[in-house]
Amino acid sequence: MRAVQIVLCAALGVLVLAFPGLVNAYWLSVAILAIFYAIVTASWALLVGYAGQFSFGHMAFVSLGAYTSGLLVKWFDIPIPLGMLAGVVLCAIVGSGVGFVGLRMRGPYLALFTVAFSEVLRIIFVSEVEITGGSGGLEVAPLFHTRSDAPYYYVGLVLLAGSLAAMVALVSSRWGLFFRAIRENEAAAAAAGVKVVRFRVLAFAIASSFAGLAGGFYGHFLGILTPDIGSVDQMGLVVAMAVIGGAESLPAAVIGALALEALVEALRSYGEWRLVVFGALLLLTIRFARNGLLALAWEQLARVVPVVPAPRKTA
Amino acid sequence: MSALLIETHALSMRFGGILAVSELDFAVHAGELVGLIGPNGSGKTTTINMLTGHLVPVQGEIMVRGVRAHGQAASAYATMGVGRTFQITQLFGRMTVLENMLVPGLARPGSKKAGATRAARRHLEFLGLAALENLPAKNLSGGQQKLLELGRALMLEPAILFLDEPFAGVNPFLRDEIIVLVQKLHAEGRTFVIVDHDIEALQRLVHRMVVMARGRKIADGTVEDVRHDQEVLRAYAGF
Ligand SMILES: Nc1ncnc2c1ncn2[C@@H]1O[C@H](COP(=O)(O)OP(=O)(O)OP(=O)(O)O)[C@@H](O)[C@H]1O
Ligand SMILES: [Mg+2]
Repeated sequence: MRAVQIVLCAALGVLVLAFPGLVNAYWLSVAILAIFYAIVTASWALLVGYAGQFSFGHMAFVSLGAYTSGLLVKWFDIPIPLGMLAGVVLCAIVGSGVGFVGLRMRGPYLALFTVAFSEVLRIIFVSEVEITGGSGGLEVAPLFHTRSDAPYYYVGLVLLAGSLAAMVALVSSRWGLFFRAIRENEAAAAAAGVKVVRFRVLAFAIASSFAGLAGGFYGHFLGILTPDIGSVDQMGLVVAMAVIGGAESLPAAVIGALALEALVEALRSYGEWRLVVFGALLLLTIRFARNGLLALAWEQLARVVPVVPAPRKTA
Repeated sequence: MSALLIETHALSMRFGGILAVSELDFAVHAGELVGLIGPNGSGKTTTINMLTGHLVPVQGEIMVRGVRAHGQAASAYATMGVGRTFQITQLFGRMTVLENMLVPGLARPGSKKAGATRAARRHLEFLGLAALENLPAKNLSGGQQKLLELGRALMLEPAILFLDEPFAGVNPFLRDEIIVLVQKLHAEGRTFVIVDHDIEALQRLVHRMVVMARGRKIADGTVEDVRHDQEVLRAYAGF
């Protein structure tokens, strides 16, 4: 049994590593974007699924991280990793600010507040044409000057693995316990001695910095940034990815993102109709599988295929 | 007299036009077991909320062990050793019984996972919940949830515990059990302030009774004193 699992994992690992050699340039770029969405979705799941702070402004931090790095590299010619780091730090700071201002709000009010923040930021990026290039876009230095995108794929993979490992470690720590306690019942968490203000702000800061990291990677991969990356449409896509995969499990959110991005591309010939399919999928998931389709599928799989371990009941 | 744990001066709370608590002077010493009674809406829960940092009084002073605690967050009160339960049980529903206990255990400064887990299991054993530790809290019965909430407060190793209606909606058997549990905890040196409408249960338990009506403290003394107090009789009859 155990041997079968090891073989399966090894095969999956080889497949993931060999992926760039197996597909054409188009699908490789889709995979890189999927990895980008996976980091964003996992960090949104951390904020919403674990900490219970419903934010609709997560993509604003993606764009903030992306523009910060893109502009710093353009202006000061600093190394790209340093620019990305600056984006992460700025996102942590601004994220704390948003978390702090949103402290008195919860549920739909917090969501509305974060939408407003997100739109304000997007409009600034659109309007400050002198600095950002507005809707025409900002040219961003590419991370690599290779003909193939394979290096981006591997860097993305490392970023995803690193982010996921850090987030999993976080949610398994006492901070993760406090995040969930606040999500479940803020008054009770406070009565239990949890510094609610500190941890709500921390949740925003941490999740926002991962969004900023993903944003930096995204900008330096595409080479061009437009304010659309921080739009509500994009946010809707991330929410769909998290909810369909399962917002209360980080790996499920990642798989949701990868699967949905692949689906978006695979169904491209259906035009706008594919969005209707996603909308329906989202509604069905919310109605019938609150923990996401993945948890549901996994449970069924564990029942049928004996080598699959049953899902752990936590969240 | 033993140490003063909590002391208030002229504490008041107002909600819009309603003066929920008015000029309350109240003190609890270490080792006391105090009952706090009064008709519905007399300000008992509001008093607990202020004394545990869940509400900031509009006026007055709160001293916890001689330190001015006014305006501090509820979590700071918890850290100072002020524990509480809620009138309507407030648990972390989708977390397990053990996790519910570990939240206060690990929120304590300098705590370690192993030590907190050991303490949690000890308290769960004491409360008769040990077999349920891996169940989500929301799956517990109403009575079990009340016990778990008490256990969670005990994880703070509190100097003083405020219980808001521990006997409400509890069958007579569990009621007796809770009385015994509180007596045991009191014998170990814990201090209690218990709000309830079950005067009979309180009479078996407490040594001192405080009575509130319309936001004011109208009596404070032994159970005997309070029972014959004319103002108390009037407050209850007039309600
Ligand atoms: N959050 C609040 N907002 C507005 N009014 C409130 C609030 N909390 C309490 N009140 C009002 O304050 C008064 C005192 O309420 P409180 O809950 O303290 O009473 P109580 O003595 O605990 O009553 P009961 O025995 O019914 O629980 C009531 O008139 C109540 O309506
Ligand atoms: Mg009450």
